[in-house]
Amino acid sequence: MNPVFASVRELSQAIQSGEESPVELTELFIGRLREHGPKLNSVVTLTEKRALREARKAQREIREEIHRGPLHGIPYGGKDLLAARGTPTTWGAAPLKDLTFGYDATAVRKLKRAGAILCAKLAMIELAGGMGYRQPNASFTGPCATPWSPSHWSGGSSSGSGSSVAAGLVPFAIGSETWGSILSPANNCGVSGLRPTYGRVSRHGAMALSWTLDKLGPLCLTADDCGLVLEAISGYDPEDASTTRKRYRYSVEVGEFRLGVPKDALDETQEAVADRFKASLTVLERFATVEEIEFPSFPYEAVTRTILNAEAASAFDEFTEKGLARGLTAPEDHYGPYARTVVLARDYLKALRLRGRMAMIAEDVMAGYDAVVAPSRRTVASPMGQEFRKVAPGTAKDVMGAVGNGAGLPAVSVPNGFSGEGLPTGIQFMGHAYDENRVLSVAVEYQRRTGWHRMHPEAFKA
Amino acid sequence: MDSKSVEAETLFKLVEQLYGGRLSEAELEEVKKGVERIVEASMELRAVELGNWDEPFSVFTPYRRQVK
Repeated sequence: MNPVFASVRELSQAIQSGEESPVELTELFIGRLREHGPKLNSVVTLTEKRALREARKAQREIREEIHRGPLHGIPYGGKDLLAARGTPTTWGAAPLKDLTFGYDATAVRKLKRAGAILCAKLAMIELAGGMGYRQPNASFTGPCATPWSPSHWSGGSSSGSGSSVAAGLVPFAIGSETWGSILSPANNCGVSGLRPTYGRVSRHGAMALSWTLDKLGPLCLTADDCGLVLEAISGYDPEDASTTRKRYRYSVEVGEFRLGVPKDALDETQEAVADRFKASLTVLERFATVEEIEFPSFPYEAVTRTILNAEAASAFDEFTEKGLARGLTAPEDHYGPYARTVVLARDYLKALRLRGRMAMIAEDVMAGYDAVVAPSRRTVASPMGQEFRKVAPGTAKDVMGAVGNGAGLPAVSVPNGFSGEGLPTGIQFMGHAYDENRVLSVAVEYQRRTGWHRMHPEAFKA
Repeated sequence: MDSKSVEAETLFKLVEQLYGGRLSEAELEEVKKGVERIVEASMELRAVELGNWDEPFSVFTPYRRQVK
């Protein structure tokens, strides 16, 4: 078996059977991170010493028949907003590039307990996009490319997590999403990305952009792998009061699914994205009932945007007051934090009050459906030198993003084809709160019937 | 000027007072557009009527240190 581009599940079986060893896998992926990471700007820091220590431990345990589960001995990378003891955790921001923590983020600690091996801290948009960046060059490590084209953006803010998995530099990675930061790189890089339900994964030790919107989740080659990783990182954490006590166990459900497609799902989408989405619906119709649904008129975007603006203004208050934004990479991030300092308390609280109504509307619209289906993004990866909002100008609202993030709903994005210029497109399945298994089951079945997730960029094949 | 413009202009003046010294004219113009977008969103929120009993969708939990 070639371990590069093998799924976590395949690697796990190979490790357990003795065909692959954690130490050799770690050396292989560290070598790939070192060789290819700079071409993509996808890596911030290699954690080689730690990785080899963890790999030797995993190898010893497996030899002694101590089994920690499917991630035992599997290398991975973490978005550089996750604290990792003794390693710089830069948040992608030049003024903070020497920031270090004396402890591991809970997600990193849980992965360590599951036997996974941290090989690298991966590139991200500075402060997870919290300053309002508009173009890809918004990280002190440079603009991150999708492995499918060096002149196109990886998406963000979990840029390096998406790009590194797509290039086969790590078998899986952890990213974070406040609004779009897992689904965007999953779309642009052609990988599977899972945004879990809010509170499913502890945020302890992760940079805060918006306390009530931030979620950590996996980016992998398959939806099935996303389930395996989510099981390892989820769970109640006394260090994060928002974590749920509902236990998560990954399992794939079978049977006929019922899917809803928003009436305006294809508004202002690029032609290639619309074409691929329509083709995907014909695949979905073979194992699911697909019906049109409609979200009623409601200020979805205003609710989520106001919460994000107010919480980000507070989370970065000291950073802003000290004038540190001037040291950021993107010119638009130099002034980005100032407008939101005047969000009024009455409007933030109104948004928090309307959030409950929004969550109930979503439940009503989605009642009887296993998932809502839509293109992951309206566009394929944008060219490096361009403002990404100018690639598809228009007035269409991002209702799926606003509702999904504002109401804390899970969603998985998987690749569903390519544009004429060879850039990946993605399809997302968004489900009810705590129903990750349902959306993953739909995605797993979709991937069982298609081969897009098995296509990899030529330049990175081993 | 309508009430939206008055509010946006007033809030922008506050930002300008507090942070104008750090920002160029061009940057201040961008900040002004940002304030206008924030006020636009606020107007959308205020247009939805809620009852007195409609609470924020988050729960405050009083803290008590666990004594062993």
